[in-house]
Amino acid sequence: MLRKEFIQLLRDPRARFGLLVPSILQVLIYGYAATFELHHVRMAVLDLDHSYESRDLLSRFESNGHFELIATLNNRHQITDLIDRGTATLAIQILPGFSELVGKGQTAPVQVILDGTDSNTALIALGYINEIANGYAQDYAKANLMRTAPAIAVHLPDVELARRPWYNPNLESQWFFVPGTIGSILLTSCLTLAAFAIVREREVGTLEQVMVSPISRLEFILGKTIPFFLIATTQMILIMLIARLWFQVPFHGSYLLLGIGTSVFLLSILGVALLISTVSGTQQQAMIASFFFIMPAITLSGFSFPISAMPRVMQWFTYLDPLRFYLVIIRGSFLKGSDWAALWSQIVALVIIATALLAISVQRFHKSLD
Amino acid sequence: MENSVLVRDLVKRFGTFTAVDHVSFETQPGEVFGFLGPNGSGKSTTIRILCGLLHPTSGRAEVAGLDVVRSSEQIRRQIGYMSQKFSLYNDLTVIENLRFYGGLYNVVGGELDERIRWALAMAGLSGREHSLTGTLSGGWKQRLALGCAVLHRPRIIFLDEPTSGVDPVSRRRFWELIQELSAEGVTVFVTTHYMDEAEYCNRLALIFRGRLVALGTPTELKLNSVKGEILMIEASPLGQALEVVKTADGVRDAAVFGNALHVVVANADAAMTAVRTALDSRGIQIKRMGRIRPSLEDAFVALTSDGATRTAPSRADARTKSSCH
Amino acid sequence: MSLNRLSAITRKEIIQIRRDPRSLLIVFLMPAMLMALMGYGISLDQKNVPVCVFDREGSQQSQDLLKHFQASIYFNVVMVNDDYASLVRAIDRGKCSLGLVIPNDFSEQLRNGGEVDVQGIVDATDDNTANLIFGYGEAVVAGYSNDVQLQYLSSNGFATMNAPVSVQSRTWFNEDLDSSNFIVPGVVVLVMAVIGTFLTSLTVAREWERGTMEQLVSTPVTPLEVTIGKLIPYFALGFIDTIFCEAIAVFWFQVPFRGAFVMMFLASALFLAVVLLLGYWISAATKSQLAASQFSLVLTFLPAFLLSGFAFPIDQMPIAVQAITYLTPARYYLTLVKAIFLKGTGVAPLMPQMFALTLFATIVGRMALRSFRKVLE
Repeated sequence: MLRKEFIQLLRDPRARFGLLVPSILQVLIYGYAATFELHHVRMAVLDLDHSYESRDLLSRFESNGHFELIATLNNRHQITDLIDRGTATLAIQILPGFSELVGKGQTAPVQVILDGTDSNTALIALGYINEIANGYAQDYAKANLMRTAPAIAVHLPDVELARRPWYNPNLESQWFFVPGTIGSILLTSCLTLAAFAIVREREVGTLEQVMVSPISRLEFILGKTIPFFLIATTQMILIMLIARLWFQVPFHGSYLLLGIGTSVFLLSILGVALLISTVSGTQQQAMIASFFFIMPAITLSGFSFPISAMPRVMQWFTYLDPLRFYLVIIRGSFLKGSDWAALWSQIVALVIIATALLAISVQRFHKSLD
Repeated sequence: MENSVLVRDLVKRFGTFTAVDHVSFETQPGEVFGFLGPNGSGKSTTIRILCGLLHPTSGRAEVAGLDVVRSSEQIRRQIGYMSQKFSLYNDLTVIENLRFYGGLYNVVGGELDERIRWALAMAGLSGREHSLTGTLSGGWKQRLALGCAVLHRPRIIFLDEPTSGVDPVSRRRFWELIQELSAEGVTVFVTTHYMDEAEYCNRLALIFRGRLVALGTPTELKLNSVKGEILMIEASPLGQALEVVKTADGVRDAAVFGNALHVVVANADAAMTAVRTALDSRGIQIKRMGRIRPSLEDAFVALTSDGATRTAPSRADARTKSSCH
Repeated sequence: MSLNRLSAITRKEIIQIRRDPRSLLIVFLMPAMLMALMGYGISLDQKNVPVCVFDREGSQQSQDLLKHFQASIYFNVVMVNDDYASLVRAIDRGKCSLGLVIPNDFSEQLRNGGEVDVQGIVDATDDNTANLIFGYGEAVVAGYSNDVQLQYLSSNGFATMNAPVSVQSRTWFNEDLDSSNFIVPGVVVLVMAVIGTFLTSLTVAREWERGTMEQLVSTPVTPLEVTIGKLIPYFALGFIDTIFCEAIAVFWFQVPFRGAFVMMFLASALFLAVVLLLGYWISAATKSQLAASQFSLVLTFLPAFLLSGFAFPIDQMPIAVQAITYLTPARYYLTLVKAIFLKGTGVAPLMPQMFALTLFATIVGRMALRSFRKVLE
C-alpha cells in the first residue's frame, strides 16, 4: 500500500517539482518580503522658520536611520498632494516663529502629518518621531541649563529605558519569520496533498477496490498517510538547511525535541486532512475545505500577527490551531534554545489534537463508506 | 464523397510506441463499418484522429472529403461522436443534456424541440426527461449519448466502444438503432471488441497491434481467414487435451475457446479420427466433437496467430456463437 | 463566435452550479466566516501589555515609575517578582510581555543625576511587537523622566520649564490608527483573491478528469466560447461575493467608505476578471485537480498575503522583492481598495492601478485561451 502511494505520487515529475520548488521559493520570499522593520519611512519636511533651531531639529529627523527624506517642500499645499498620493508617509512642518518660541522658553509646536492607512507603520514612525523630539527637547533643556546653572545641570536626572531584547538582539524580522515558514509550508503542503489523495481515490473510484481488499481501516489510513509524512520531513530538512545556511538564523535548541514536535505536528495535520477527506465527496470540496482551514490557520497562528493582540475570544480559538503550538516549538528551538520543560505543554496539546482528529476520522470513515 | 471516411497509410506514434501502424481503408456511404480488435490495438486512437482529437504522425485521413488536420473544425460540424468514457453530464437532467448538445451544434428552436422528441423516443426516455442523467443505468445512458450525438443529423457518426459495460439486451437494442440510422444513409463507424456485435456490421476491419490484419464483410472474413476446417472438441481436462491435440496428425492449429477447443485442420473427417485416437490413448475423455463453421473469433485467432493470443479476445461472447453440426 | 454555443455552455454551468448547493453555500459562507475570523483576529495594536516587575529597591520613586506604567493604556502591571529567576520564568512562559528591572540603587542614582537606566526586557522573537512595546515603554519612561526633572528643577528654584518642543501629530485617513481599518480591506482582497481563483480553477480540470471534456471538444465549440461561457456565471457569483465582503467591511467592521461606488465596482470587476482567468488558466494547463489546487494556493493566497502590502509594507522590502510585487495583481487591487475606502480618491490618481489590472487580465486571458486546446495530447 505504501509503495503504491509513493509510486503514484512520485511518478509525475510535475508533482516532484511541485513538492520542492514552491517550498523553497516560499522560504526565500517570506524571508525577504515579510518584514515589519522600518528602514526608510518616506518623509517630507517643510521648514518655514529657517532658523538654527529648526534646522537642528530637522537634521535629527533626517539623520535618523529610519527615515528617508524624499522632499524638502516650500508650501503647505504640497503636503496634501504628497500624502494623498502616498508618495510620502509623513510630513514634518515647522511654522514660522518656532525658534522665537523656543528662545522664550515657551513650547513650540512641531506639526506632523501622518498617512494612517498603514497604521502599524504610522504608529512605529510616530514612536520614532516622539523619541527624536524628546531627545531634542532634553538636549536643548540641558544645554540651556548648562549655560545658566552648570552645577545643577550636572545632577539633572535622566531616566531611560534600556532595551533588552532577548533571543533576537537585533530585532531582525527574518529570525522571526523564517522558522515560522517551516510551519506554514508544512501545513499547506501536507494538508493539501493528503486530503486530496484520499478524496481523489474516492472520486475516481479506486477507493472501493481497495476497500474490498483484505485491509483494515487503520492500515488503510496509515498506508495513505505515511508517504506524506516522509515527504513533509524531506521538505522540512530542506527548509531548515536554507534557514541555517542562507539566512543564518541561529539554532539553540535540541534537534531531537524539534523532531518529536514536528512529528506530532504532522500527525495533527494529517488528522485534519483525514477529517476533511471524510466530509468531502469531491476533490473540489476537499479543496474548499482545505483552503477554509489553511487561511485562518496561518493568519491566526501567531505566524505574523501576534496572538497577544487578539481579542480574548479569538485567542481561545487559536487553541484549535495546531500551527499555533508548533510555532512555539520551532521558534523556541531556533531562537530560544527551549528545552523539554518549556515545550512539553505544546507537544501534549498537539498530541491531543492529533488523537482527537484521528479518532473522529476513523469513525466517520467507517460511516461514509458503508 | 460527403459521407465517407478515407484513410491512407495512417501512422500514430506516442514516443516509441506505435499505436496505429500504416492503416488504410475506405468506408462506403451509409454502411456500418466496424473496427474490431482487442483493447489497446489502436481502435480508439484511430477514431480520435478521424474526429480531430489527435494529430496523426504521418499518413492521410479524410472525413466527408475534408482533411482531418487542415479542416478539423469543419469536420466537427458534420460528424457525431460518442466517446468511450460515456461523457454526458451526470448532474444534468436528460433534457438538459440534450439541449446542451443541441446548442453546441447550433440546433435551435422548433428544430431542436423536434429532434429532442425524436431522441427521447429513440432512447425510450420519453416521460423521463427530468431525471438526472446520473441516475440512469448503462443502457439508457448509452442510448441518450447516441441521441445527443446525432441531434444535428450528421451524415457520419463515430462510436467508440459504445456498448462496453452494457447488458446484452441493451446492446442488442442499441445495434438495432445503429441499423436504423444506417438505413437512413448515415455512415456509422464503430469500434468494438465484442465479436458477436461485429456480425451486425456491413464490413469489418480487424485491428491487431495497430495493424489492419483483415478487411471485408463478416462472412468474407470467416470464410477466407481460416485455412481449412474447424473442429470443436469438448474434453476434460481441457489443458491436457490441448497439448495432445496440437501434436495430432493433420492439426494445423488449436486454441481454447471458452470451455472447448477449436482445432484448425486440413480435413475434418481424417482429423477427427486422429484426434480421437490421440486423446483416447492418453485417457482423456471426449464429451463432444464435431465440425463447426468458422466464427469471427476463429478468423481473428487465425489472423493473429503469428503473435501471442491463444484464446479468443472476448471469452464471454465466444460461447454464444459456437454451434455444432 | 456563435451565441447559441456560448449560451449553451453558460446555461450548463449555471445548472451545474445550482445543483451543487454545498459548494454554493460555501462560496458565500466562507468569505463571511473568513472575514469575521481574520477581521477580528488580525491586529497589530498592542494595548494592555502585561508587565512584570523586579523592583530591587522598592522605594517611593520606583513605585512612582510603576504608577506611570499602570496609568498608561498600553500597559498593565500584572506581576511583581521577588527575584530575577521568577521574572525570567514569567517572560518565557508568556505571562508578561515586558519585564522591568529597577536597580537596587534607583533613588540614589536619581539623586546623583545623569543617566539612570531601567532595564526593559522583551522576548524579541516577534520583532515587530517587541519594537512597539519598546517604543511605548520608552515613552512612558520618558514621561516619568520629565516629571522627575521638573521636580528636581523646581526644588532647585527653577520655575517649571516648558518643554521646548511638542509634537502635534495629525493622522490622515485613519485617525484612530486602528489597525482594523487597514487590515480589513486587506482581508477583503485576500479572500476575493483566493475565492476568485478557486471558483474557476477546478472547472476545466474536473471535466478533463471526468471525460466530459473529450466529448465537448469533439463538437464545433471554440476555446473562446468555452472560456467566456464558463466564466460568466462565476463572474456573477464572484461579483456578488465581493460586494458582500465589502458590505461586511463597512457595516460590520465600520471601515469608513469615502469613495465612489462606481469606482469600487469597476475595480472589483477588473480584479475579479484577473483572478477568475488565472484560475481558469491553471485549470486548463494542469488538467489535474490536484495540481490545480496546489498551484492556486501558491499563486493566490501567498502573494496576496505577503506581497500585496496587506500585512507587510511594500516599500520596506528589498528592491528585488519590491520588483516581484509588481507582478502581483492583489497589490494593485489592495491599493485601489484602500484608496477608495479610506482616502476617497477619485479616478485620475488611480489610473495606473486600473491599467495594470486591465493589462493583467488581458495577458492572463490570452494565456488561458492558448492553453485550452481541443486536442487530447
